[in-house]
Amino acid sequence: MNPMKNLSVIRKLVQITAFIFFVYGGTLTGYYLADKVTGALPALSCAYDMQGSDLCTLIPFQHQMDHRLGEAIAGGGNLMMGLMPTLITLGTFLILFVFLNKAFCGWICPLGTFQELLHNLGQKLGLRRRESLDQGLVHRMRPVKWLILLLLVFGFPLMTGIGWVNHDLGDPFCRICPSRILTTLATGDSSQLYLDNANTTTLVLSLIADFMFGLMIALSLTIRQPFCRTCPMLALHAVFRKLGLLRLVKNATPRCDRCGLCAKACPMDISEIHTEMQRRDVTFEDCTLCGRCVEFCPYKDVLQLKYAMIPVFSADPAYFKPRKRAQRNWEQNSLLSILKSGHATLKPKQS
Amino acid sequence: MNANIYPAAFVLMFCFMMPAPDVVAQTAAKPGSGPEHTAEQHRRGPKKIALTDSKGAVARLWKPDLTTLPLTVEHGNITLPRTGVDNYHAVVVEKDRVDLKEVLIRYEYMHGKPSGHSTSELTAAEKTPFEIVPDPVPREHQHYRSDQRWRFFLRFKGTPAAGIPVTLETSHGTRVNAVSDSEGEFSLHIPDDFPDLKEGERDKRTAEFSISAETKDNGILYRTMLSAEYRVNPSHWQSSGLGVAVTGFGMLAGVLLGSIGLTETKRKAR
Repeated sequence: MNPMKNLSVIRKLVQITAFIFFVYGGTLTGYYLADKVTGALPALSCAYDMQGSDLCTLIPFQHQMDHRLGEAIAGGGNLMMGLMPTLITLGTFLILFVFLNKAFCGWICPLGTFQELLHNLGQKLGLRRRESLDQGLVHRMRPVKWLILLLLVFGFPLMTGIGWVNHDLGDPFCRICPSRILTTLATGDSSQLYLDNANTTTLVLSLIADFMFGLMIALSLTIRQPFCRTCPMLALHAVFRKLGLLRLVKNATPRCDRCGLCAKACPMDISEIHTEMQRRDVTFEDCTLCGRCVEFCPYKDVLQLKYAMIPVFSADPAYFKPRKRAQRNWEQNSLLSILKSGHATLKPKQS
Repeated sequence: MNANIYPAAFVLMFCFMMPAPDVVAQTAAKPGSGPEHTAEQHRRGPKKIALTDSKGAVARLWKPDLTTLPLTVEHGNITLPRTGVDNYHAVVVEKDRVDLKEVLIRYEYMHGKPSGHSTSELTAAEKTPFEIVPDPVPREHQHYRSDQRWRFFLRFKGTPAAGIPVTLETSHGTRVNAVSDSEGEFSLHIPDDFPDLKEGERDKRTAEFSISAETKDNGILYRTMLSAEYRVNPSHWQSSGLGVAVTGFGMLAGVLLGSIGLTETKRKAR
């Protein structure tokens, strides 16, 4: 298969370009926060990265809950003035979000790209990977991202601003976010990988951050997108997914009952893509619009990525067959298989 | 160009900047005797600057859009007015005599509506003939901290000033020297000189440093100073080694979780 006709290859190129731009692009756009592209990116590009070209929208949200809305509530000030910065950030986020919808996760997010690259590394090392997580586990994990969004992005920062909790809970999500550690390390800055003894709050938050960073690295080698499943950005996207121009659309046929290849291909283990037979818009809350389900759907036009109702990529048996072959070849060529074949050739033939 | 340094002899000197209610209680900070104060979160009150000798001083406030406001010096104090604009502003205080031109510059973050201008525009603007320019100014939510190295450059009449000795002096009395290179650039290590630091305990104290240089041109002596606040380096209560160790434990847990999962998968397959 021509790699330039392979959606996964195209996506990988976009992801790597986006990674380089958002992690190192500050050298082009500028060093200061005023130089950043939007300041409300719908992807985990970290403001702690001094070479970054943009920063994720979760940072201003936490900051505004703490220092604007929370302080306005505590001080009996004008609530509308306290809320205005959050509304401006939300507006900026939505302007961007409308263009790509949840594809910011599947195509742009540096942390998502990192996890995918690690998974590819696991494949190439010949590590035994789990194709899909247990559906019970997947369903149990789904509320976690909502809890993190409500508590760590909005709840605790707001309570900090009001004065109910200590200031170290003013930006709790940033303090545990693996992207903060990853993107700073990627620029050669190790200052964000630390255990903070200042008080119990900082100790607990830094313990969680470091442990989760290590956990994510190890799990990514064998499990697809482990952190993404609990990411509050995914939850924030889910709230506004009906506004995005890019959608995953399903034209179900009775054959969908028997196949299930789409769910198997999904890196987020969304089994509903396979089982949903009524709804046409199947951009589920965990979907990252990566398009893998469309790639691995063998039936013509059953799954489609549509942009403003115009199909931009559709399931097609003519694409599916070479794509499946290419995937098989990709998975077979691992370090372990090379070592095994080398070992086999070195073995003396027995008469 | 003359390159003798007498930073202690500077007539013009910033004490420190604080919200207005606090500054009244403070005394003039000279190197070695500087008061320390706790870094409050998001100080939003009007800021005041105290000058040790304000006679003949002319002060201006450079906004992020490079427009300037005249500042009034009253009884040796300058109160910075709210500009309603977010981002760094530059306070420039000058004393101009026939044979001596002195200037003191300080970059201060002020809160308000987004300015839409980068701080790089403010640092690039020629605010005075002889100027120490931070390269870069600490970004929002970043601060000068002890035990850190920062870059600066010297600019004289719009061109890099090479080979000029510069001195950093902290309010704790520590002095560090450097010389600007052919591009006018130099870097300085901010000393870790907060007294009575307790390892493992967070310390929110702040102190002041000033960087000074002088040069002579056409019989006129130019003295310049850049002042700023610095804080205690968090490495005193943050451990990188333990951070790496905890990350290692996380990786180990990930490997174990992955292998348990694989065993379950294999069992199910059987």
